[in-house]
Parts: sequence; structure tokens; C-alpha cells
Amino acid sequence: MNITAIVMFFLFVGITLVITVWASKRTKTRSDFYAAGKSIGGFQNGLAIAGDFMSAATFLGVTALVYSTGMDGMLFIIGGTLGWAVILLLVAERLRNLGQYTFSDVVAFRLARKPVRTMSAIGSLAVAIPYLLAQMVGAGALIQILFGLPYEVAVVLVGVLMTLYVMFGGMLATTWIQTIKAVLLLIGGTIIAFGVMSMMNFDFGDLLTAAVKEHPKGSAIMAPGVMFTDIITVISIGLAFVFGTAGLPHVLMRFFTVPNARQARRSVAYAIGFIGYFQSLIFIIGMGAIVYVTNNPEFLSADGSLLGGSNMSAIHLSKVIGGDLFLGFISAVAFATILAVVSGLTLSAAAAVSHDLYANVIKDGNADRDTELRISRITTLVIGLSTMALAILLEGENVAVLALIALAIAASVNFPVMFLSMYWSKFTTRGALAGGYAGLATSLILVMLGPTVWVTLFGYEEAVFPYRYPTLFAMLANLLCAWWFSVSDKSERARREAEEFDAQWIQSEIGPVQEKV
Amino acid sequence: MLSQTNQEIMTNEDFLKLVTVRRRVSWSFLTVLLGLYLAFGLLSVYAPGILAQPVFSGGVVPVGIVMGYAILAMTFILTLIYVWLANSFFEPLERKISGGAR
Repeated sequence: MNITAIVMFFLFVGITLVITVWASKRTKTRSDFYAAGKSIGGFQNGLAIAGDFMSAATFLGVTALVYSTGMDGMLFIIGGTLGWAVILLLVAERLRNLGQYTFSDVVAFRLARKPVRTMSAIGSLAVAIPYLLAQMVGAGALIQILFGLPYEVAVVLVGVLMTLYVMFGGMLATTWIQTIKAVLLLIGGTIIAFGVMSMMNFDFGDLLTAAVKEHPKGSAIMAPGVMFTDIITVISIGLAFVFGTAGLPHVLMRFFTVPNARQARRSVAYAIGFIGYFQSLIFIIGMGAIVYVTNNPEFLSADGSLLGGSNMSAIHLSKVIGGDLFLGFISAVAFATILAVVSGLTLSAAAAVSHDLYANVIKDGNADRDTELRISRITTLVIGLSTMALAILLEGENVAVLALIALAIAASVNFPVMFLSMYWSKFTTRGALAGGYAGLATSLILVMLGPTVWVTLFGYEEAVFPYRYPTLFAMLANLLCAWWFSVSDKSERARREAEEFDAQWIQSEIGPVQEKV
Repeated sequence: MLSQTNQEIMTNEDFLKLVTVRRRVSWSFLTVLLGLYLAFGLLSVYAPGILAQPVFSGGVVPVGIVMGYAILAMTFILTLIYVWLANSFFEPLERKISGGAR
């Protein structure tokens, strides 16, 4: 039990609840609920976007990866930053120019609304739910250790808070919570990294030397190949980060909270600054954890393993740096991180159901405002309850791996469909559906047959599909099907869709054009 | 059918220039970054020795870590260049096109 952690935690929860009450009074329209009234500026949105990405998976999971494998963690650190370059250079401005609240708006711009939206809503949910679970599982384990609460109670606590934020505060509350947490996390990360460097007299070489000395694998951590040794895995991880980031529904949704494409561009530029900076701290933090945590009896259980598992390495390190006070601060920040990210995910999942499925598919675009908002709030509640139950069942899975599976689906379903609809004039509804569902089915089947589910969950001896990450195959399946079913589509609808591409192209390049009178 | 305004834009020289230059910038930046990442991935599987080698003989910091940080720095620099280009070149063109079409 750590008093600072508990005080900090209650302070954070108190502030976020005040924000939620304040935001709920300002959340009346659909634009308020889904997009914070399109009133967020580029700088704040950049922080919020960075906050969405700097999740427990990045902070705790990637630190843990560096802690246990050394240089292999670089693959995640670089990939996590590069995904944002893809968003800046290919997606952000166009997304804002073409869409309203969700990325499905863009896919459905000229393609058949109902089937295409159904597919991209499924894609959003298939990303948001596993990602949510990853965060919840991490939260449960973390709170269990820090506050001495049972895992189940911790999960329920997170679930209830996130449901409250989203149901009542919508995107406005979610954005502010994300912003505050991003600032806290950047400060916390900076202090840990600074602390590590100052104990090393600011000599990076000394840090690495000390890490090699302390790590059980010795100098192997200064070379790649401790964990990722085959090219298929390396490429799949790369693809999942580089293109999966641009397919995360809760991140894409943030581009609709700004007033125009210019602010969308500024948002990503700021986000890249914050994320790149944070990612470069992660490596130092991971190395620091190797030096000061690995062989520190204070953090080892009786059998010599790390208390709470490798995901706790960053947290333990904070105690070395700043004692119980700072440990409390970092624990509260880590918890705030999880809360903020799960809220964003829940909102994007709710929008997929209420905006895409209910308003545009079931009601054909003529949904009543209040009913649509009610549906999104009910969905939020349902998602909250069901993820709490699932998180309790999934206790103990590595959070980075669960998050990567979500990234894999984002890269092989959402991103290719959105990208092709933006850039390829011959992309048709039939191609979009074939590609999207092929990507989804391939990802799901390969994850099921892969080591994560087949061996760990089902308990079989050997996985049918040997790779943990299905991205390479699933992306190829999507692109091949999208291509073939588009070029072979000779229907009247396909001809019309190709014809409408130019108008969409113009709007994506320069924004909505006013017609000459 | 395209509206009159859109037809004008599709043949507008400024629009064609905007689209071509922006496409060239985006894709060349991406090629550089993804190329570097791919190189890192390929080296880490097929030539881990190169990444493990110290940058300076006798030093301890290996090539792979320097390369990782260099890619992060590169991403940041290209982002700044892109934003600068967008503010000083793409956006005035966009305004000119939609103003000219109106």
C-alpha cells in the first residue's frame, strides 16, 4: 500500500469526474458527443493523440520488452513512431476533409453506404475490444500490486470509471482526460529517464555497459535477435505498427475534433514530437530498469522472478529513482494512462455502433438526434460491462501482445480499406467488402491458430500457425482481394463509383468546394 | 458527372501542381523512413552482427541503437519539413484554387 499513490489516484479521479460533469453540460449534439464540437485546437489535440498512443502497452509493455530483450525493443520503438509519419503524410488532412465523426465516413464517401459501413464498424470493434482488453488486463494487474486490491475489483473500478466518462462526458471529457494524462506521463517519463541518466553521470555508454553487466543474457541484449529472429515476425511487427496505427479507430476519431485540415495536420505534427520524444525515453527507462531492478532483492520474489512480472519494471524503477513518493506518482500516472486510453477506445466503439451501424445502416442516415445519442450511451454501458467480464477471464496475458493483435487487425482491415478508398479510383464496394472481410478473417483465424491463443489459452502443445503476429498475411489477403474484386467488378454501381472519384479526390485535396452560382 | 466547378478544378494548373508536388513530397519522405525501418529489420534478422557492432571501435554503443535513434530523429525532421512546406506552399495554393473556383 502506497499512500502517495492512493492520494494521487483519488485526486486524478476527482478531477476527471469534475471534468465529466462539466463536459456533460456541454454535450448536447452528435458533434459534441463524437467530436467535442470540433472545437479542439491543434496543440491540445496533438497532446491528446499522443496520449491515446502512449498507453499502458507502450509505457509498461515496451519498457518491459526493452528490459527483457534489449535491442529488440527498438523494433517497437521505431515502429511506434513511424506509424505517425504515415498518418501525417497520407491520412490526416484527407480524413478531416472527407469525414464527419468516424473513418467509416471516408470509406462510405462514394461506396455503397450500408454494406461498407457495416464492415468498417465491425473493423473498428474488432480493434477497439482487444485493445480495450489489453489495457484492462494491464490495469487490473497494476492496481492489484499498487493498491493491494483484488484483480477483479481493480478491473471493475476501471470499467465503471471509463463508462461514466464516456456516457456522460463524450469526446469533450475524453479529450481533456487524455490531455491531462499525456502531460503527466511526459513529465513522469522525463523524470525517470533523467534520474537514470543522472545516476550514470549522463554517460549513455556507461548505462549500456552497466545494463550488459546486470542482464542475465549479458552482451546479447546489445544485439538483435533475443526475441525476434525470423523475418516474417519482424516484418509483421513493422507492418502492424506502421500501418496499424493509422487504422486505430480511436486515434482516427481524434482528427474530427479539430475545426479543419490545417489543425489536423498540426495535431499530428505535435503528436509526432511528443511520441518520438517519449519513445526515445522508453529505451533509456528500459535500460535503467535492467541496471537498477534486475538484481535488486527488493523487487524480487522468493524464486528470483520480478515482482508483478516484467510489465512492472518501469514502476519498480521509479521507486529506485524517487522513493515511495515518486513511486506513488508514477503508479497513479500509469493508472490514469489506462483510464484515459480505455475511455477513448470505448467512445470509438460506441460511435461505430451508434453512428455507423444505427444511424447510417439501420436508419439510413435519418436517425433522430436524441435516439442516436441514447443508443451510443447504451452501447457504452454494454461495452463497459462485457469488457469487465472478459478482462477478468483473461488475467495474466502480456499486455503488449494483446495490443499488438489489435494493431494487426487495424493494419489488415481498417487501414487498407481507408487507404484504397482515398487513393484508388477503381476501388469498388465489392472490392472493399472482399478485402476488409478477408483481412479480418485472416487475422482472426491466424491469431486463433497462433501461439497466443492455441497454446497459451487452449493449452495445445504446438501452434498450427507458427507466428504470433498475423499482419503480413492478413494485409496481403486484404490487398489481393480488394484488388481482384475491384478490377473484376463490371457492375453499373462500380462504374458510378469510379466516376465519383474525381469529386472525392478534389475534396480530399483542398476541402469542400463551394459551387459557383 | 462532375459539377462545373469541379471540372474547372481538375484542369486548373495550380491544382495539378499542388497534387503532384504534395504526392511527390509525401511518398519520398515515406520511402526514406520506411526504407530505413526495413533496413533495420533486415539487418536484425540477416546481419545482427552489424547492428551489434560498436559505432566506434572500443566504444560500447552499438550501431543498432544509434540507428534507432537516428530514425526517430529523421522522422521528426521530415515532419518539420512537411509542416513548413504545407504552411508556406500547399496551403496558399489550396486557398488560391478554391478562391479561383468560386
